[in-house]
Amino acid sequence: MNPILTFLVVLIGFYGLSTSDNIIKSVFSVTIIESGVILLFLNLGNFQGGSIPILSEDLVSIVDPLPQALMITTIVIGSTVTALSLMLCIKIFHHYGSVKWKEVLARKDVKS
Amino acid sequence: MNQLAVVLVFLPVIVSIVIYLSKWRHMNIVAIASQLALTIVAVVYFTHFYGDFESTHIVLGGWDSRIGISLANDELSMSFIFLSLFSWWMVLIYTFRFGHTEHSFLFFLIFLQGVFLGLLQSNDLFNVFVFLELATIIVTILIAYNKKGESFRSALYYLIVNVPAMLVFLTGIILVYFTFGSINIVALTEQFQDVDDTIILRFSYVLMMAGISVKAALFPVFTWLPKAHGVAQSAISALLSGLIVKAGVYLFFRMNFLYEGAGFAYSDFFFMVGVLTAISGVMFALSQKELKQILAFHTISQVGIIMMGVSSADSDMFYGGILHTFNHALFKSLLFLGAGVIIQVYRTKKVGEIRGVFKTMPVVSIFMIVGMLSITGAPFFNGFISKSIIKYGLAEQGWRYWALYVINIGTATSFIKMSQIFFGPKTLSYPLKNMAQNVAMMALAFGCVLLGNFYIPFSEGFFGIRVEEFDLTSFDVLLDYGITVAIGLVFYFTVIARDLKPVRMIRESRISFENANLVFLIYIVALTTYFVFLS
Repeated sequence: MNPILTFLVVLIGFYGLSTSDNIIKSVFSVTIIESGVILLFLNLGNFQGGSIPILSEDLVSIVDPLPQALMITTIVIGSTVTALSLMLCIKIFHHYGSVKWKEVLARKDVKS
Repeated sequence: MNQLAVVLVFLPVIVSIVIYLSKWRHMNIVAIASQLALTIVAVVYFTHFYGDFESTHIVLGGWDSRIGISLANDELSMSFIFLSLFSWWMVLIYTFRFGHTEHSFLFFLIFLQGVFLGLLQSNDLFNVFVFLELATIIVTILIAYNKKGESFRSALYYLIVNVPAMLVFLTGIILVYFTFGSINIVALTEQFQDVDDTIILRFSYVLMMAGISVKAALFPVFTWLPKAHGVAQSAISALLSGLIVKAGVYLFFRMNFLYEGAGFAYSDFFFMVGVLTAISGVMFALSQKELKQILAFHTISQVGIIMMGVSSADSDMFYGGILHTFNHALFKSLLFLGAGVIIQVYRTKKVGEIRGVFKTMPVVSIFMIVGMLSITGAPFFNGFISKSIIKYGLAEQGWRYWALYVINIGTATSFIKMSQIFFGPKTLSYPLKNMAQNVAMMALAFGCVLLGNFYIPFSEGFFGIRVEEFDLTSFDVLLDYGITVAIGLVFYFTVIARDLKPVRMIRESRISFENANLVFLIYIVALTTYFVFLS
């Protein structure tokens, strides 16, 4: 996959963030940006015909293992962020009865 | 000996897990004990390596130092470590009674300390990202801890604005890795010394700076800060404003040290951003009516002043900026903690409804007044020292000097407005019952006065900066402060107190969530234009 294409994925995420008023959609946009960044990193470390980076007898040409190690960490963090934000979405829906940023941010807080 | 750096990261993390799992009722004592142990470890570490910070570099797990996880310290990170230890001490003491029952609160609080100390010491770029992201997640939970609708929406706003910024920062790291094949900051600093100036390199700088700007709440991208800092508990607000915002400023220092070799760090661009940040922070602070909102917007304005200082490398202004980072942490924590007590007693956040604080709680008022004098830059208080050093650096530079002057007048006006809460008759009785809160505030107020008068040994011991050359005790500076406050008083009574239409318009101006993200994109484009295309 071309690095330009991964850059497009990132841009799609930013497009979603800067046009959608829906909280759930903005959470997904963040996930899309993250996927784009992960794809970019994996892409740049990869090349055609490279084998998996596991030490063995016939080590000829392996892809760069560091991006894969780092991106595993990023994926883990990303799933945490997604889970946390979806949890907060549920809480916000319970409190305000809406998942639109405009309505949620404009509302005065009700004393409970 | 340099293994102790690992202890600084993992001791808080392990202790926090123990606290979370335990059912013992006095877990806050364990928290204080671990904090004491951590402080001792930090002091031992510092005294051992003082003067020889080259040898603190440690690579974990025996990997190649260019790609492995590594930790290293220097004067800057050590001073930040002591600052954060001090801040956490104050917050732990302040919340001593609260932490009694809330184990999960203590868990997140102490875990955050481990993460933050890791961020300060981390010597490879990817771990900087990981620690920053972890800190973002934990801060989100701490903001939402009140479990009100308001805190949930602010927490989610904080998270969703910050995570894309962090991913942009990560993209910058990726570009650096594929240019140099290394993510180790020490190794990269050497490689940067003789580097070809390529577009990729410049673009990586732009992306990193864009991510850091959101973390540090610079001009167009600060919308998350007042929301988050206004609704969190006062102790958490103090920590966020005093320290966590400084994570962005700290990384700004780090990345500029790194890119200095490539020759495009310390640019005028960030001076302009600093001026705009400070002015917009002051403007919004002047229009606000809630106690904590005013303080939150003043965090933005003070970060702007710090950026004005550190945007140039070769003058004393840079040291003024670093000193201001420390001073701001002290007085802003103090003000937030004091505001927390006042809000707790009066049960309202509105400045207009709180009156007679001085008669009701004189001790808290004195601490608040120390904080206010510090933030407005009164002589013999710590804010004055760093602001004056920045002012000396700007003295010959025309409009830049006056920009700082206007910001100072705005700050003075805003705190004249806030000081109205002290006047008036005693309205309710406040028995001095929570000693722990007063102890924490007293220590911070003491720190403000101490640094304001004995700044010379402090700045020499930590940074090796000589500040004797600045004449900071003459009659002129007193006069200067007097003039600032006088203009502030006039401005307050003619414009702010009457709540004129422009003030109301600023207060009611809102930026929607989508546009806030659009502004971030525009900011990246502006950075790219300045650093990649124009030079």
